[in-house]
Amino acid sequence: MDAHETAIDPRHVLRAHLWPERRALAGLIGALVIGTVLPLTGPIILGHFVDRAIAGAKSGELAAIAIVYLVVAAAAQAATVVRTWVASRQAWTATNRLREELAEHTLSLDISYHGKHPPGELIERVDGDVHAIAEFLVTFLVDILGSAPLLAGTLIVLTVDDIRLGAALAAFVVAASLFLVRVQRRAVPTSAAHRAIVAGLFADLEEHLAAAEDLRANGAGAHIVRRFHDVSAEAFRADRRAEIVGGGLVRLTNLAFTLGTAMLLGLGVLLQRSGAISVGTLLVVFRYSQIIRQPLERIIDQLKELQRAQAGVARAAELFAEHSNLAWPSAEEAHRLAPTGSLSIELRDVSFSYGDENVLDHIDLRLEAGRSIGLVGRTGSGKSTITRLMLRLYDPGDGAVLLDGVDLRRIGVADLRQRVAMVTQEVQLFRASLRENLTLFETHPKDDDALLALLDELGLGPWLRAQTHGLDTELGPDGSGLSAGEAQLLALARAFLADPGLVILDEPSSRLDPDTELLVERAVDRLSRGRTTVLVAHRLSSLRAVDEIAVVDHGRIVEHDARESLVADPSSRFSRLLAASR
Amino acid sequence: MSDDERTTEISSWWVGWRLSRYQPIQYLLGGALWVVVIAFPILTGLVLRELFDRFSQGTEASLREIGWLLAAFVALDVARQALMWLAIATWPFWWNSVQTLLRTNVLRSILCSRGPAATRLPASSGEALNRFRDDVEDILLLVDIWIDLTGDAVFAAIALAIMYQTDSRVTLVVVLPMIVIIVVTRSLSDRIKATHSAARSAAANVSEQLGGLFGGVLSLKVAGAEQAAIARLREHNAIRRTLEVRARLLTDLLDTVTASSVELSTGIVLLLVAPAMRSGQFTVGDLALFTAYVGWLAGLPRRVGRTLYRLRQTTVASGRLVRLLAEHEDHHDLVAHNPIYLREPAPPAPPPPAIDRPFERLVVERISAVHQSTGRGIADVSLRVERGELVVITGPVGSGKTTLVRAILGLLPIDSGALHWNDEIVTDPDATLVPPRVAYAAQVPRLWSASLRENLELGWPVDDHGLDEALRLARLYDDVGEMAEGLDTLVGPRGVRLSGGQLQRAVAARALVRQPELLVVDDLSSALDVETERALWDGLLSPDRDGPPLALLVVSHRPNVLDRADRVVVLAGGRILEPTAIA
Repeated sequence: MDAHETAIDPRHVLRAHLWPERRALAGLIGALVIGTVLPLTGPIILGHFVDRAIAGAKSGELAAIAIVYLVVAAAAQAATVVRTWVASRQAWTATNRLREELAEHTLSLDISYHGKHPPGELIERVDGDVHAIAEFLVTFLVDILGSAPLLAGTLIVLTVDDIRLGAALAAFVVAASLFLVRVQRRAVPTSAAHRAIVAGLFADLEEHLAAAEDLRANGAGAHIVRRFHDVSAEAFRADRRAEIVGGGLVRLTNLAFTLGTAMLLGLGVLLQRSGAISVGTLLVVFRYSQIIRQPLERIIDQLKELQRAQAGVARAAELFAEHSNLAWPSAEEAHRLAPTGSLSIELRDVSFSYGDENVLDHIDLRLEAGRSIGLVGRTGSGKSTITRLMLRLYDPGDGAVLLDGVDLRRIGVADLRQRVAMVTQEVQLFRASLRENLTLFETHPKDDDALLALLDELGLGPWLRAQTHGLDTELGPDGSGLSAGEAQLLALARAFLADPGLVILDEPSSRLDPDTELLVERAVDRLSRGRTTVLVAHRLSSLRAVDEIAVVDHGRIVEHDARESLVADPSSRFSRLLAASR
Repeated sequence: MSDDERTTEISSWWVGWRLSRYQPIQYLLGGALWVVVIAFPILTGLVLRELFDRFSQGTEASLREIGWLLAAFVALDVARQALMWLAIATWPFWWNSVQTLLRTNVLRSILCSRGPAATRLPASSGEALNRFRDDVEDILLLVDIWIDLTGDAVFAAIALAIMYQTDSRVTLVVVLPMIVIIVVTRSLSDRIKATHSAARSAAANVSEQLGGLFGGVLSLKVAGAEQAAIARLREHNAIRRTLEVRARLLTDLLDTVTASSVELSTGIVLLLVAPAMRSGQFTVGDLALFTAYVGWLAGLPRRVGRTLYRLRQTTVASGRLVRLLAEHEDHHDLVAHNPIYLREPAPPAPPPPAIDRPFERLVVERISAVHQSTGRGIADVSLRVERGELVVITGPVGSGKTTLVRAILGLLPIDSGALHWNDEIVTDPDATLVPPRVAYAAQVPRLWSASLRENLELGWPVDDHGLDEALRLARLYDDVGEMAEGLDTLVGPRGVRLSGGQLQRAVAARALVRQPELLVVDDLSSALDVETERALWDGLLSPDRDGPPLALLVVSHRPNVLDRADRVVVLAGGRILEPTAIA
């Protein structure tokens, strides 16, 4: 069942998901150019000042130079603010897009993938990692992209002064860059290891927080705290390793810059003694070696962010490389289902296994359009798997599932989701308004009157009237303010809104008291009217209204017939189950 | 909620001080190392002065001396980088210690401190996770920045002294623009705080949306609503971007003010030293030293500004963390110096308390508990459970059955009424009604990504025999036998690799492992088929069972359970329908 992986180059993620749009790019470049020229002018004015002072210029002239310096410096600062604004906006736009695309991609992965990766872990991968990328991207656009024209500018100015200075600076910049790239490569794995442990720590923590009541009531709090200590210690060791390696490499880089500055000054002093350049120019050389050093040092200080971001991009690429095992046909190739009316469903010689575990063993089951069937069997007999196959959440290992006589694999995903609905025992609610929870964020838009009428019809009227905000009432994922039965009725209302041709109900009334069960059963009856219906239930009493019964046992259908005939035959398994439940 | 009283008056200074005293040796030694590293450029500035003075002498200066000075320039940096590496390599211990301390203090409070658990997490577990991550980091950064601040102060004191010796007038004037930084920082910090906290909650909203998407993936897939849900995420993302950019811009504005004041100082130096330079009193070397020091000096007011910001941020973050603590706890408990275990294994959890007197009866007297948000709950409910009895709570949906059970167990706050265990009043039900007295199987089964064994044991001292017995009673024994890895099977996130019925029975087994005197079960039978359920109740109520007779308080509406009950409590609208229930 593993989703197959194809390697995706992290650089592809950068190009495909993070590259800015053309107009934004132009604005960014403009801000960068202005933000580069002005800071380069400052040291030249300073050098000029020194040369003039040594030459014995008048105080008035020196004062004028000082004032020009002040004006240029002020303008340079203003340009920096603009650059930050443009760059950070761009960085956030790009990373927002990445977050959305990553979230969308993750949602498209199979249910089996989600089964293996808890929401806490996926949040960390989609949000935590992308956040690290965002943090870095702001720095990147401001500092790294900014330092390229800055470097070019320093090279040009120094070359004009003396070509040997320019050449020395160029050689140094090339060497330093090569060194930086190597450093990053060495540091990323330790940083990634640390991040992976932290992600695991938070995934555990989220699950434990969600289960806080169970843990407390069963006296397990101290044990969980102890476990947290152990994982924290593991995170500490990984952090220290990452800092020692990463930090050490950064120190070496800094040292390289100091060597570069000393080398430039050494060359400069020789040139100055030979009369090729002035003392003022030597000051410019020194200031420039500092100027290029400052943004680069900031980059190196941000190296941890870069490492995190690179690790984040690599992990994003990993996630993008995960693919659904379900290949859906394109819109043109897809078979179109009838837009209304009920649909027949058939499992033809279907086998299915999770890993080594055989769940379904050559099953044949056919249900004509408009009929209803109850699936009966022990826990773990394979009933739920049958429903998942009908929804094409998995593909069968062998055989085929046919909807309206057509193999599910030939039907488009949107079409299938539109025409087949499922209500499960676990109702999943979202932090959003009641309206959005019903229409699932306007997937099945309906006006408020229609929604209210539907809720009334399903017996949620009294509950709704107790809510002050009506359809705007905010619900939460924990179903705050809703009982299990009310949540179940909401889930049924969702299914109504979709107006499906096949309804699959997986134990919709299992956790309810008799009164609500009645409400739910009434809603189920209404929902199944005129629709093909598959009903999974433990409680045989909720199967009174179905046309057919299939008994599932150890992955096989051991009995399948009209309900009446099974009830009439005292030797049938169903009759025996009925007798036992009385 | 009383959180407002608890959180408004938290002093960031106090919080930071307490945390700095947690691993004082590591903090001070590591801090001293950082201070040396930060003040180190003083020496570099002095070397620069000597260098530039020789540069301005032209060919008269000795090339040998210049060579030695350049070598010293490099050697100083070698020393500085080495010290810095040492500081970086040792700092994670302090950082992780205090980080773990804050996190475990909060986690311990949520899971172990007395007081109802239900009111702890203000929003989802995902939102609380954010607090464990970002708010903890915010507080740490404050204690961290104090060291930088000290380093900057040391640097400033020495640098100013050297500058003053060179030219007192210029030094005094140069300091003036620096004061602007502090003033501007102070006036900006409020807006920064507001914007940052808005950005923070926008970020939390996005996390929560994502959590919703991934938690509800089945519903979304089945309904084909993925696109619509992503559109929703996009809206939250856009809000977050606006706020994050604004926050970044405001923070950067501080940097800009800092840099501008440096430039202003440099300009002033140029204006003032012009005459002295002409006369040779103020050398080129002095100018190099002044311009270099002025740049580094700006670190101090800037750090003062950052510290001001961090102080405010720490108040917010501490408040958000204190909100997660029990109601009787406050910021003292947040930073309490409890042990953490980064270098040695944590000691095992304390053994369960011994039972002093065997269970006789539990009497619940007219308890009321109302959900603050919905106004629903239970009122005036009384019931009793005697040793060996089966008491069933039943009633329609929304009648308060689960609320009643949670209120009895102390998971929800009780507004009025009393509980008696063996005729003694129970003040902290959440601390008293726990194993080995009481165990609880909740309505929504919650397991997590670990082995089945870990999910059942949860640190409870139990041998294989005890585990097998619990599995048998919970009718899970055969299921486990069929799993390839038995009890070591990894159940997957939230236990998804088990079926619904297996989850329910695992939760029951978890409670039974604890061999409680009273087992509280909230609708265990819901996901079980008729035969399995019957066998389960037969086993639990069998007189041949090992151990003391088990009392059962069960939420159910199944006829076969009601038939066996010694007492039945019928709830409707949060009140008891049959007053005869308490005999």
